[in-house]
Amino acid sequence: MSNGGIWKTFAEYDRRYVYLALFIVVIGPLLSPIGVPISVSPSTRQYYEVINAVGEGDIVFFTLNTEFSGYNEIQSGIIASMRVFIENGAKIVIAVGHPEATSIPSMIFQDLNKELTENEYVYGEDYISLGYIFPNEAAVAALAEDFQGTVSQDWLGVPTAGTFLDEVKTWKDIDFISDYTTGLATTHVMNHFALRGTPMAVNCIGVMIPSSMNYLDTGVYLALLNSMRGGAELEYLTGHPASGLTAMDAFTFGHYMLIGFIVIGNLGYLMYTRKQTYGRGRKKQ
Amino acid sequence: MTTLIEYSIVAVGSFLAFCMFSTLYGKGNPLYSLAEESYLGFGTGLSIVMNVTYIWKTGILNIMAGDWVLIFAVVLGIMILFRVNSTYSYISRIPIAIVLGAQFGLSLRTIIFSGFIQQIQSVIQPLFSGGTQMLIYNWTIALCVLFMLTFFFYTTEFEGLLKTSSTFGEYLLYASFGAIFAQTFMGRLGLFIGFMQSYTVPSWEKPFLVGSLLLVFGIVYAMDKAGILEKFTPED
Repeated sequence: MSNGGIWKTFAEYDRRYVYLALFIVVIGPLLSPIGVPISVSPSTRQYYEVINAVGEGDIVFFTLNTEFSGYNEIQSGIIASMRVFIENGAKIVIAVGHPEATSIPSMIFQDLNKELTENEYVYGEDYISLGYIFPNEAAVAALAEDFQGTVSQDWLGVPTAGTFLDEVKTWKDIDFISDYTTGLATTHVMNHFALRGTPMAVNCIGVMIPSSMNYLDTGVYLALLNSMRGGAELEYLTGHPASGLTAMDAFTFGHYMLIGFIVIGNLGYLMYTRKQTYGRGRKKQ
Repeated sequence: MTTLIEYSIVAVGSFLAFCMFSTLYGKGNPLYSLAEESYLGFGTGLSIVMNVTYIWKTGILNIMAGDWVLIFAVVLGIMILFRVNSTYSYISRIPIAIVLGAQFGLSLRTIIFSGFIQQIQSVIQPLFSGGTQMLIYNWTIALCVLFMLTFFFYTTEFEGLLKTSSTFGEYLLYASFGAIFAQTFMGRLGLFIGFMQSYTVPSWEKPFLVGSLLLVFGIVYAMDKAGILEKFTPED
């Protein structure tokens, strides 16, 4: 223990202990899940109602405005939402807004292979992957004005002519936008599609929730799914427990750990500074 | 049946990921440098390939299909490359100016809505209709906005009611910063857990996760204790 006693130790603990504790509380529950119960928030119920209202034959623009790191956080929401669209019989156009994300659509379809087979989904007829098509705002604006003039091939270079994308000429022909985002081109998609009237729902990472709430309040977003927590709640609502619900143990313990360190650090600081002041006062007397 | 290539991908991926995490040890180390430089190299390579593919798909193919106006875009793109030559770098200013102009033109048309009107509109809520819970929410939003706005009156001396309002607004700002910090922590924790989860499902990946963790931090700790960490760490 240091010379300042236990309070000084609490006030000035090495931050590496925080990292070590975080590794333990995260990896432990992931290796051996406990099953901490969760509740479903009103915002997730609203999100579920909105995406569940998408009907058979509706064209859904499924936009992944995320890097690979961000995908790990919102993966549960992406998979759960895609499952709802497939079960509802929507036609899905999937596009990405970052070069890193190009392989994500394949991973999603691999995870949902059973649902695709059960609902007799055929690539080109019912769903199509366009790959990386959002390098900047000009590209998104061009897509909204002239979809086919901007994109004529899927991500593998196969022409999209002859697929259901023949029906999509401008933003008006998109029935619903389901956006999954760490930022990137979401604002552009909102500006050039949602603000014109295309219904849009968003699943964003945690740091974006405060800045995204404004668009929910004003009705630009019909619904907002919050981070991994929202994804877990959606898994619970749809009755398909998966990675999101499994992660909630680590999520819960991680937050308890942070609260614990904040309390310890502040208590240590408060007591140590009080001790110093009190000690000086006694010397003067 | 898991193939050798799948094992290799998981082994290399988890090892390099924990090399990245080794920065949390608090000292520069060669494993972190290896992972960092690898990521930058692979990331840059991937970006180049994807962007060239994008130009091919949306530009070159459409030109070959008869959309000749796109030739101007390709020429402007080539002009940007003159930036690397000090003698002719001025040529690159033309396409950069056009790109910036077009970008501002597009943004100005839309940002007025998403960045200004929608932001204000979101705090204008009905104060005398709706359920009790909604009324509490709406009054809270309205009052907090008023208090916090007074904090930003820089040209007026704070006295009396204005000073009280400003002080209260200041504390409300602290509370909102705390909420944003909490959201940020939740987001970062979500990223971390999501990443860790990608190495715990399916379950055969778990030994690679734990093995990489122990291996990387074991190597870094041993090098540190042996006093050779700095010697083998490349300079920035």
